[in-house]
Amino acid sequence: MSKKITINNQSYDIDVPENMPLLWFLRDRLEFTGTKFGCGKGLCGACTVHVDGQATRSCVMPVGALAGRNVTTIEGLSDNADHPLQKAWLEVGVPQCGYCQAGQIMNAASLLANNTSPSDQDIDNAMQGNICRCGTYQRIKKAINIAAYELAKEVS
Amino acid sequence: MRPDIEALLTAERAKQDSQAKASSFSLNVDRRQFLKVSALASGGLFIGFSAAHATQSASRASEFNPNAFIHLQENGDLLIYSGRCEMGQGISTALPSVVADEMEADWSFVRVEQAEGNEEKFGSQATGGSASIRTMYEPMRQAGAAAREMLVAAAAKVWNTTTDNCYAQQHHVFNKTNGKKLGYGELAPIAATLPVPEAPTLKSKSDFNYIGKALPRHDVGMVIEGKRTYGVDVKVPGMQYAAIVHCPVMGGTLKSLDKTDALKVQGVTAVVEVAPLKVPFGSLGGVAVVANNSWSAQQGVEKLKVEWDRGEHGSYDTDVYMQELVRNVEKPAEKIAERGDLERAFKDAKHTVSATYTEGHLVHAPMEPNASVVAVHDGHCEVWASTQSPDDIQSVLSGFLGIDKKNVKVNVMICGGAFGRKFKCDYVQEAAAISKAVGTPIQLTWTREEDTRTGYYHSNSAQHIEASLDENGEVTGWLHRVAFPSINTLFNPAIQFAPANAVSEIETHPFGIANLRSESGLAPAHTRIGWYRAVYAIFWGFGYGVFADELAQKAGVDTVTMLNRLYDGNTNPEQAEQVARSKAVLALAAEKSGFGKKLPKGEGIGIAVHYSFQTYVAMAVHVRMKGDDFEVVRVDSAVDCGQVLNKDGATAQQEGAVAMGISLSKYCEIKFKDGAVVNGNFNDYPVMRIADMPEVHVHFVESDASPTGLGEPGMAPFAPALSNALYQASGKRHRSLPIQPLRT
Repeated sequence: MSKKITINNQSYDIDVPENMPLLWFLRDRLEFTGTKFGCGKGLCGACTVHVDGQATRSCVMPVGALAGRNVTTIEGLSDNADHPLQKAWLEVGVPQCGYCQAGQIMNAASLLANNTSPSDQDIDNAMQGNICRCGTYQRIKKAINIAAYELAKEVS
Repeated sequence: MRPDIEALLTAERAKQDSQAKASSFSLNVDRRQFLKVSALASGGLFIGFSAAHATQSASRASEFNPNAFIHLQENGDLLIYSGRCEMGQGISTALPSVVADEMEADWSFVRVEQAEGNEEKFGSQATGGSASIRTMYEPMRQAGAAAREMLVAAAAKVWNTTTDNCYAQQHHVFNKTNGKKLGYGELAPIAATLPVPEAPTLKSKSDFNYIGKALPRHDVGMVIEGKRTYGVDVKVPGMQYAAIVHCPVMGGTLKSLDKTDALKVQGVTAVVEVAPLKVPFGSLGGVAVVANNSWSAQQGVEKLKVEWDRGEHGSYDTDVYMQELVRNVEKPAEKIAERGDLERAFKDAKHTVSATYTEGHLVHAPMEPNASVVAVHDGHCEVWASTQSPDDIQSVLSGFLGIDKKNVKVNVMICGGAFGRKFKCDYVQEAAAISKAVGTPIQLTWTREEDTRTGYYHSNSAQHIEASLDENGEVTGWLHRVAFPSINTLFNPAIQFAPANAVSEIETHPFGIANLRSESGLAPAHTRIGWYRAVYAIFWGFGYGVFADELAQKAGVDTVTMLNRLYDGNTNPEQAEQVARSKAVLALAAEKSGFGKKLPKGEGIGIAVHYSFQTYVAMAVHVRMKGDDFEVVRVDSAVDCGQVLNKDGATAQQEGAVAMGISLSKYCEIKFKDGAVVNGNFNDYPVMRIADMPEVHVHFVESDASPTGLGEPGMAPFAPALSNALYQASGKRHRSLPIQPLRT
């Protein structure tokens, strides 16, 4: 009996070689293409997903190591594209080509889950692994700050 | 449908039928017009138009090649096709918003779709040279205005009144007398029966709803849910996945191949030799592995045992080559242009200044590596590609497959970044070669390493400038030698010197230099050279911008004063506008940045200005030293692109230019050894990351001039402004890019 993995709250059989990176299981086996291929070496962050809530580079994470774990991709981040980060991304108009943005949002979501009021330095440190060649960094910082503010309001 | 509209429509259609019988032409296609209108099968209004109209000769103008479409449906939904490729520059919002504005459409009813890449049917969609807005703005306005006037005329018919008594506003036509209104949707079927206005009246600037405002991109919602589909995301039935390794040297060939181990990888189904295709944008040649998923294909490629014959460029070494370029500009070279008496100017000079500037190769490195899906069938093929030029895909595949261009169907997908790389369709031609060999649709995705090592590289370059100054510190003479492998070598490998058309910048630069000479030094190409965002403007901007700073220092004035002197010396009336607009952006950047103000030790503000792609940009860069390293604190970018089309998108392009400017100024350089690229991934081709991002402030010059593009012009002034700032902050002059080269 094959091992199982939970992706966006649904259970799937790991029916591929166990050393296949999660990225390709998502993209080519399950056709969740929101998670992007950028470098294949964990250097650019385009493939970032959550494993049990923590930002993880799916291009270097063997799917077989994730049996029984919960994976969240950009498609499962929220029910109606209403995560505070998604709303802030819309408000600020962050994306240019948009290719790196799923990874940016997933990484930022993990940051905010661990640190509800990040300083600019915290944002730089947390987001340093996510490359954007279009240069949307200034807007990414702004959107994360807006989302953090909104989250703080929700809590209080 | 309202009964009165239905009755009117029946009458109009009956009239049309009788007229159509009397005419050999279909109705409402006025052959002198570039607009075409017809009724949709579903009853809506359909307008196609050709942007090529303005440049077509009289005989060509009689042909109808629409390359954008408006579909207005009876429920009011408005579909606008984008006839330019989207790569993040926002063109698929900007151009449709022009149509919608002139049409008085309500943007919330608009849906944008990418037009099919079919040159015969839709006209050229080649997207580059910051040309889309410059060339498409007027035709888009005309089409929108025509649609609006037809809708107004339709309402006038319904109300049996004059068009003067009606006006359009936000998806409705209003009756001035009785205040009644009709929706665009209900008017669409009537409008579709009316003649196209010959010369529709355009709105005045004060009436714009979207043009000049910060209209949000139409596709951000898709992006934040991971639903925007790039070339790399396309899935078609029966598709297999492929990965490829290329011959590492231009012109090299496959010597031996052992595919045994690759074929043993689980999921791998085939190994395909992809022959070099010796046409521009053809494959460099390589070996592909086909599998039932991308990862297995990549594993297969790693298991290939391949030997290459490196061929004539097998000893290309960029460190050695750069020394040659520098030698070739520090001695007399091929004369390109001359004016005045340069020898005399130098003889009479009070001071002379000379400097040599260099820049290495760059690779585009968009976040989405080259990717496409191609399905080759008998006599036709279909392509889904992230591309900047579906036209070239049609041409190259038609030649490669020996089929008619019209049988190459190209679905244009958004590019996950392109920066000039995806103008070249070698990766699509390779997917076609593999699909042809194995008989199934193929998705070929290059690895990051192949994307880095099989590029069309930004020219490496050396420039040597010598200038003479008189006793007043006025520049009297200018010798400018440059050596770089030119893009022309892609089309003619025999070219050894950058030709006059690639060096014309020196002759036409808006600095007023009475005595001038330009020369081109020996620079044969040993790799594929291609357009990179802003192309040669990167090194022109760097050379001119830093040299102006060095001249200022020699003359004992600040950089802005020296730049103004250089512009003021231009007495050519044909360049008066260039001079005035260059000076205006310079003044704006200086003012907004506080250029010249007292700063703490270890800080500096540098400034530079450059005119490229018909847009004017000046940048002031504020740096702070951190030991031997530095950080860019703030950038003020002053822009004159004529009428700003979308303030938010225009601002984003400047932010992006600063980011790419930091990457290429600080980190990026492609190096070759033994003919092959040394770099591979973001570890050894580092690009700037979030902590390097400064505050960017963008200031637009208020202007009614025709709009010009912004994808590239922000690139040129950044690096020289940074170098000048570092001189202010540290006293050290940086004449080579990148400033912190990778140690190899």
